[in-house]
This record gives sequence, C-alpha cells and structure tokens, in this order.
Amino acid sequence: MNADRIDPATMATATGTASPLLDEARQRPESQLRKNLKRFLVGNRLNLLGVVIVALFLFLAAFGELLAPHDPYTADITNSKLLGPSLTHPLGTDELGRDLLSRIMTGTRISVQVALIVLGFAVTFGTVVGLIAGYFGGWVDEVLMRLTDMFLAFPALILAVAIAASLGRNLRNTMIALATVFWPWYARLVRAQVLSIKEREYVQAAHSIGMPQSRVMLRHILPNAASVIIIQITLDVGYAILATSSLSFIGLGAQPPSPEWGTMMSTARNYFRDAWWYMAFPGIALTLTVLAFNLIGDGLQDALDPRSGRR
Amino acid sequence: MITRLIIRRLFFLVLVLFGLSLITFTLSHLVPADPARMIAGPRASKSAVEKIREDYGLNDPLPVQYVNYVKGAVTLDFGRSFSSRRPVSEDLGRYLPATIELGLYAFLIATVVGVPLGVASAVKRDSWIDHFSRFISISGLALPVFWLALMAQFFFFGKLGWLPDGQRLPNSVDPPRSITHLYTVDSLLTGNWETLRYSMEHLLLPVLVLAYGSLAVVTRMVRGGMIEVLNQDYIRTARAKGLASNEVVRKHAMKNALLPAVTSLGLQVGLLFSGAFLVEIVFSWPGVGRYAVDAIQAVDYNATMATTLVIAAIFVLVNMFVDILYLFLDPRIAL
Repeated sequence: MNADRIDPATMATATGTASPLLDEARQRPESQLRKNLKRFLVGNRLNLLGVVIVALFLFLAAFGELLAPHDPYTADITNSKLLGPSLTHPLGTDELGRDLLSRIMTGTRISVQVALIVLGFAVTFGTVVGLIAGYFGGWVDEVLMRLTDMFLAFPALILAVAIAASLGRNLRNTMIALATVFWPWYARLVRAQVLSIKEREYVQAAHSIGMPQSRVMLRHILPNAASVIIIQITLDVGYAILATSSLSFIGLGAQPPSPEWGTMMSTARNYFRDAWWYMAFPGIALTLTVLAFNLIGDGLQDALDPRSGRR
Repeated sequence: MITRLIIRRLFFLVLVLFGLSLITFTLSHLVPADPARMIAGPRASKSAVEKIREDYGLNDPLPVQYVNYVKGAVTLDFGRSFSSRRPVSEDLGRYLPATIELGLYAFLIATVVGVPLGVASAVKRDSWIDHFSRFISISGLALPVFWLALMAQFFFFGKLGWLPDGQRLPNSVDPPRSITHLYTVDSLLTGNWETLRYSMEHLLLPVLVLAYGSLAVVTRMVRGGMIEVLNQDYIRTARAKGLASNEVVRKHAMKNALLPAVTSLGLQVGLLFSGAFLVEIVFSWPGVGRYAVDAIQAVDYNATMATTLVIAAIFVLVNMFVDILYLFLDPRIAL
C-alpha cells in the first residue's frame, strides 16, 4: 500500500530551489501560491474531478446522516430484506432491510473521522520526530532514524494487522494501528526537508541573533516544510480510508452494525449471489473516494513541484 | 563489500524481527482476554483452564514468557495454534506454498505486462496506449483489492459460471504428488494434465485480481523512469547522430530506466502479501493470509504473531536480495 510513496530526496530538491531572500519577502509566496492553484485547477480536468468528488464526500460526511432518506440503523426484515434498487431504495437494502443509500451516506463520516484521526496523530508525531532528528543531527538523528527504518521495514498493512489484532478488534484500535504505520513516512519526509532548510541563510541569521532553538524550528523551519507535508497528507487520505476499510473487511476495525464501508462489504460477501447491489455500491463509494484523493494528491504534486516533467 | 552489506542487512533483519516480536507480544498481553479460557472453551471447568494455563506456560511472568517465545521462534517453534491445536510452524508450512504460488504468478503477470506497458506509454506519450496505462495505474491504486475480488467472483463464477469460486482444486480432485508444493508445477512435473488444468483454472481469478495493484505500481514506475531518461541529453545525442528511434529506446533508455524499477521488486512483495490477506479470504484460498485472518478472528495469538513475523522476515530478506542485485546491476553504487 505504500509502494507509491514519493521519494523524500526528490521532494527535498523540489522545494529547495527558491532563494532564501525571496522566501522572506511576503509577497512572493502568495502570488506563487495563486499561480500554482490556478495551474492545478485549470491545467488538468482530472484534478477538478477530484476536487468535486472530495467536496461531495466532505459534504456527505457533515450532513449525510441528516439527509439520509431512511434511518441507517432501523431493521425491517419482514418487509424490505435484500430488495434490489428501486425508487424508495435507490441502492437497494441489506439483509436486515436497512436502506443502503442511507447507510453509505452515514458511513462517509466514519471514513472522514478515521482519516482525520489517523493522519492527525501520524503527521504530528512523525513531524516532531523528523524535526528533532533533522535539526539536532548526530546520535539523536541516528537513534530516531533507525527506529523509523524499523517500522518502514514491514509491509504496512501487515504491521497494521498485527497491531490491530493484538490490541483487539475495534475501530479505535485499528486507528491506533494505522497511525503507527503512517508516522514513520512523515518522520523521514520531514527530516529530509529539515536537513536542506536548516542550511539556508535565514535560519543561520535567526541563530545569530540569538533566537531560541525551539522558535527557529517552529517559526522558520517548519513553515517551509509545510507544502511537502501537505502534499503527502493529500496522498495519504485515500490510503488511510482504503486501509481502514480493508482492515474492517477482514474483521478488524469497525464492527457491525456500523455502516463503515468495509464492514458492510464484509457482511455483503455472504449474500453475493442474491444481492449484487449490497457489495457493489459500498465498493463504488470507496473506490471513488480514494480515486478522488489520489487525483488531488497527484495534481498538487505536479503543480507544486517545478521539477516534475508531467503535465 | 557484498559480504559487509549482507552482514549489515542480516543484523538489521534480526533487529526488525526482534522489534516486531516485542511490539506484538507486549500489545497482545496488555489485552485483558484470557487465552487459556479461550482454548478451553466457555464450558470448561476451572481446573481444566488452570491446567491449560500451566501447559502453555501462561502462569510465568511476562518477561519469562517473552524470552521463551523468542527462544522458540529462533528455532521456528512458534508454539501451538490455539485453534488448530497443531504447531504453528507446521500450519505455516502447509499454507505458505499456496500463497507463494498465488504471489509468484501475480508478480510475473505484473512484471511481464507492466514493464512493456510502461515503456510503450512513455515512448508514445498521449497515445491510446498511454491513456490506457494511466487508466490502469490510477484505478489500480484506488480499487480496493477485496472488492475487485468480490466483483470478479460475482461475474465469472456467479453470473457466467466460467470459473470456480475459490479453493486451489475442486474437492473431488486430489492434489498432485508434492515436490515443490506448487500445484501447477507439481502437476506439470508429474505429467498430470488434468490436475494442471484444474489448478490453473482455480488460480486465474485470484492471480489476476492480485496482479492488478502491482501492475499499477510497475507501470507507473517504469513510465516515470522512462520519461525522465528520455528527456536527458545523451538520448538527444543518440537521436541526433542518427540512431534508429527503436534502438535508442532499447539500448540507451531502457537500460537506465529499468534500474529503479528493480527496487519496486521488493516493494511488490509487500504489496502482494498484503493483497493476499484480502484476496485469499474472498477466494477461500488456503494460504497464510486466510490462515492469519482466521487466527485473528479466533484470537489465536501464537498463529497471528508467527504469521506476521514470518511475512516480515520474507519481506526483509527479499529487500536484502534486491539491494545485492542492485549492486551488481549498477556499478555506480558504492556502499
């Protein structure tokens, strides 16, 4: 699942081109940002598609439960068990007679929450580790980075499975497991950034006027590493959502009656001969969401990375 | 130089496995579940539970239990599976070949299709083949592999009835005499054509589904690598001195572009194992992925921990092999 990561070394050169003096000038980054944003939205229709789907996804996460035509949890086995798509149930019903559209809409929020929490922890922890390792160097760097390498040495999903299974099967533990496998990528990425940024003149200048180290790190180094971190987050939202659903599908993660998409598909498996809609629609929702975030991530990388030869 | 690399990597392997065993062991013993009760079953008497606790060494202090666990694991003794009651290493020996057979074919397909596709799409930018390869690489990363598996099963088994829904062979067919434990190879070696046909039929869907994600990664890496190389000066020089376009691509560009793709070899093993966890459940494939998932659901710690340890070991070993291979392929690298 992590096979498509950006090489931090590539990323380091990507943002390391601007002259430090220009960086200091407030005007330039702003206009540059606008130019990049324009290139991002107008330059490629796929990016726009990604933005539209993600917007819809976020909208459903906020209001999906309110807008759902039926109650996502109320069962009605006698009247509406495993009904195909119809006007009352546009995406059909499940084995307990619950409306699938309503459940998929409600499930959106779980995916957003998971992505927010998992990446929130992973990015914070990884950034702190990377910042400290890159800034202080020496044995601190050595210890922290070997630890990071150790986590990176496993296939991510399998490490997550091991941790989630050891902790016990529920959504909270799965989020802990995923945060554990995501943070090392951020540690490595941020460290590479810090290594190049800390040599710049404005950082040296900050040191020479006696600015405390913590302030240099937070005010001068971290903001300049931000764009790279943000690109990586965009690329990872899709992975985080996909990984959660995958773990839920194998019985870790969210448990029934949760309308988490992977959990729904795990149950749907038992009815696949009679009810294709039951497994088809949660999968389509998941695919579109992951696709949309990937498109945005790729697009952002192209737009913000001046080196990239891709359109 | 190579021996130094190998020694360093082996040392790292030991460290990694030690770390993983420590993580999973600590975590699994923080949970308040009582494994002895689970082995004994809900209706066992108190003394029966106590006896199991004694037999499995669950009364020892945790550090002692951990040391015993590591001692065993070094000699591939991972204890007994709580659910199958067999030694876990025996179970793994039984299920690993099925996963390897699945992964091997998926890997071959991803490489044999992905490399030419990536090269062609880089050489002919914006042609139909480029669009096709980008469709594959974008969709391959977004499609949940378990969903793809379910849908493939639904169409090709449920609707069309062309292919079997799972397992390695039909129940009525005996497996071929074991030589490599890979059914296709064994039935080929023993000249058992009918079994060969059956095993290939059963492999087809799981392999294709599993290969799709890897295909996306390979195509993407090869395409990216080729585009970068094709933009370089020496390629322009080669073209300028009048070499045939075909020859430039084959002799000058591909050699350099494919080198980074070798690295993806190691990554793919991780991807394939992760995918196997999901694909094997859908297709009732008797491999380690399904074994691990069953173990997770039965709260079978020994089996879960051993499976993840073994897979991690294979992953690290393959990456070590890739590093060494790289050393031979790229003389510029000095370690």
